[in-house]
Amino acid sequence: MNLYLKIMNHSEQLNLINDAINKTKEQLKPTSVNFIFWGLLISIMSLIHFSFPEFIQITAYSSLLYWTILPIIGMVFTIIYNIKTGVRLGYETHIGRALKLVWGVFNMAWLMLVVMAVCKKQNPVEEILFLLGVVLLITALLIRFTPLIIGGITVLGCSILITVFPSINVLLINATATFVGLFIPGISLYLSKKHV
Amino acid sequence: MFEPLDKLLTNPIRLMVMSVLIKVSDCDFNYLKKVTNSTQGNLSVQLKKLEESGYISIAKSFENNYPKTRCTITKTGVKAFEKHFRSLQSYQNLDL
Repeated sequence: MNLYLKIMNHSEQLNLINDAINKTKEQLKPTSVNFIFWGLLISIMSLIHFSFPEFIQITAYSSLLYWTILPIIGMVFTIIYNIKTGVRLGYETHIGRALKLVWGVFNMAWLMLVVMAVCKKQNPVEEILFLLGVVLLITALLIRFTPLIIGGITVLGCSILITVFPSINVLLINATATFVGLFIPGISLYLSKKHV
Repeated sequence: MFEPLDKLLTNPIRLMVMSVLIKVSDCDFNYLKKVTNSTQGNLSVQLKKLEESGYISIAKSFENNYPKTRCTITKTGVKAFEKHFRSLQSYQNLDL
């Protein structure tokens, strides 16, 4: 059909607008890969740290390097992946842009929290989990995805748990929070046919 | 009272381009070509007309030595599209 030559009536014009808008949806599958990746990475890192503390905490700074270098490599990987996905898709929706900005700010805030924690010689897990919970909830409400809402609430709950019970094992809580808050919603999102 | 339709948007390709751009923050030329199912030359002409009317802005760049064209709807374009859409709906109601 040659669209250039076609003369459309009012209903056809409305249908065409509807079709064009429906074709251009936020693709949530690539977004879910980020959740799966980070959920797995942080859970495994926490479990490795928990299982082999003698290797991770071999020097005063080895634990800090372990918790900064690997996530920064992960960030580089996800940034490259998201850029390539965006180029392949050919467009960026308003929701996609909002998510990009929210997670960009999260990355910066995470780095700042780590630096602040090093200066104060404190463990930043509680603050990072709180921040992650808030950002997960914002994401979940933007894309209207219930498993992610549950995940966000779980992560916030874990953050509160560390505050209420300071003696609790932070590494196990961190592994649980990222597995339930990121990995499981990521898998659900990957398997769902949801588009926004 | 019925508002007149925007003549620039009665063209199917231009209307389709505007419908896509209203949903996205920016979009590349190849995606628009795929959605409108038009030729490169035809789409370029229609985009040029929309740009001259101030409905869209076009940014050209190079990526890996290939030219890249990205389109964004302007505030004027959003207003024009919304007005056109309202007019279409009022005519549609009249048909019923």
